[in-house]
Amino acid sequence: MSVAEEPEVSAADRPRAAAVGTWLRATASEIERPTAIRAAVVAALFLFVLLALPGLVSTFWLQIGTTVAIYSIVTLSLALLVGRVGLVSLGQISLLAVGGWVAVRLGFAAPGLPFPLLLVATGVITGAVGTLIGLPALRLSGLYLALITLMAAAAISVALQVTNFPNGGPGFLGYSGALAGSVSAKLHRPDWLASSASFYRWVVVVAAVMFALGVLHVRSRAGRSWAAIRQSEPSAIAAGVNVTLYKLWAFALASFMTGIAGGLLAASAGGLTTYGFPAQDSITLLAVVLMGGVFSFWGPVVAALLLKLLPELLKNWGLPPDLLTILFGLGVLQVMLTAPAGLVVQVPRDLAGLVAMVRGRLAGTGPAEPAE
Amino acid sequence: MPDFRPFLVLGLALGGVFALSGVGIVVLYRATGVLNLAYGAVGALGALISWSLINVVLLPDWEAYLVAVAFGGVVTLLYGTLFGPPLAQRDPLVKAVGTLGFTLILLGIMSWAWSYQAHSLILPTTQLGFEVGEVRVNGTQILGLGLGLVVTGVAAAFLRFTKLGVAMRSLANHREITATLGVPVRRVEAAAWLGAGLLAGATGLLLSTLVGLDIVGLTFLVIASLSAALIGRLESLVVTMIAGLAIGVVQACLTAFDSVGPYRTMTPFVFAIVALLWFGFAQGRLSRT
Repeated sequence: MSVAEEPEVSAADRPRAAAVGTWLRATASEIERPTAIRAAVVAALFLFVLLALPGLVSTFWLQIGTTVAIYSIVTLSLALLVGRVGLVSLGQISLLAVGGWVAVRLGFAAPGLPFPLLLVATGVITGAVGTLIGLPALRLSGLYLALITLMAAAAISVALQVTNFPNGGPGFLGYSGALAGSVSAKLHRPDWLASSASFYRWVVVVAAVMFALGVLHVRSRAGRSWAAIRQSEPSAIAAGVNVTLYKLWAFALASFMTGIAGGLLAASAGGLTTYGFPAQDSITLLAVVLMGGVFSFWGPVVAALLLKLLPELLKNWGLPPDLLTILFGLGVLQVMLTAPAGLVVQVPRDLAGLVAMVRGRLAGTGPAEPAE
Repeated sequence: MPDFRPFLVLGLALGGVFALSGVGIVVLYRATGVLNLAYGAVGALGALISWSLINVVLLPDWEAYLVAVAFGGVVTLLYGTLFGPPLAQRDPLVKAVGTLGFTLILLGIMSWAWSYQAHSLILPTTQLGFEVGEVRVNGTQILGLGLGLVVTGVAAAFLRFTKLGVAMRSLANHREITATLGVPVRRVEAAAWLGAGLLAGATGLLLSTLVGLDIVGLTFLVIASLSAALIGRLESLVVTMIAGLAIGVVQACLTAFDSVGPYRTMTPFVFAIVALLWFGFAQGRLSRT
């Protein structure tokens, strides 16, 4: 059972055999034109964001852009869990904090480790932690799984308040109160990533790699197994899907991604603070992910923009960012009631409906049916 | 061996309030199938409103407290009436996520109108106090424990012996069959929402005196109360009460140990995780009514 019932089975979920069959029947141009256009749009947008954007905005907005890109990895991981597998985690922000902790700890333990390797190691360790938290998912489903991740998140945030992020102190925890004022919990960036623009570009590339990883999974055997599990676990078992393996794999993948985001966050301009990862942020995260839409890869991008760009815009316009919390709350209820596929599906559909209605009125034929 | 007696008093009072809110959560879940995660936020907003009524509008204290409790009932009933029926046929998870949306709305209102600055609300019962042995006990602590015990007893008797209570229990078993038997489902559910909301308002007042009037802190104390409710399997009021008291006492007594003292607020979460794992692995799946 998923939080949002998917209105239709997306092409990626259909067995590959069916897709191949369609491909054989259709002429090459028919099938390739929309795919090519879509790929071109994605590539153009990616190149614009990667190459042109740093030259157009100030350092402040570039840092916001960096944060948006980092959080798009987190929203992607939660969207995969909720939308593809039907597992709701309320502990993703705490896992992000774990990722940050691991990255900073590794940074102090092995200063010579190249940055990309450190990121991968952080992802792997966080992935192991996340899989451990996900173990109950094998036995508990739905509501109880969401609650256990919420409890784990609350416990992690209490532990974090006590242990702090490592700052080069002794022992396993690596925190020393004596160093607290002079050394911040921040991952040292290598020279080639020292400038804001180069770090921003690196983050965008890493985020793109994570999205590619997500797309690859959804289009492969893993994605089809997840779809089967989401729609009905007993049928998935009957169809020979290894439910244990693919549920744990989903948790491992989502935690790996979140860990990498944590490592990037540790290296970003602000560094890490223990009050930066409160339990309520996991709830806000779920809210924006549901609002953005969990069945499309554009959803997590929209969610990250809602989460990290919108508050800054509101502050810029002199509006209180608390309004957003209210908006996100209303958004969740609206998504639950009327738009299970999120904004990325709803807005284009409603706009198309509006256009059709206006055209109908102008033509004098009365209101037309909204286009589906 | 440290002297546990002062911590025992603190723990029983806090545990009583955990039990009180745990009972509110269980009664609502049994009647409507909704796990109300906005419970803490409703209590916190009620406490803030009564703070403003006392310090800004200069209303008499007891009127302000009544308003807080009534506010809890009304706003929870409003949510239940608006969003309960459309979500009634959905998965329990969807209903719970809906209350998370409600939580965010309340949190946004609170941090916008009252900001994150510190407020304090001390119930007049705190001034009443007496010595038990060598330990000082104040009236609010007695009130917390007493309300926890009394409400558990009253709620259990209510579900067992009254017509409305029996209707709520049958709703918990099967919504459609209950409706077929002529039980006015919406009205019974509304009563459950109202009752749970009134309890949320009272809990908010007690906790803001016992723990402190902190928006985020109070909102997320619901997670601690939820632990008690989960140990009661969202079903047994008595187990919920005992679990609430146990969590409160263990958490308070851990203060006496320097090595684990700082981690004591993890107590409810650890209790809940262990309980969920045990239910999950030792006794098969939890039922999903």
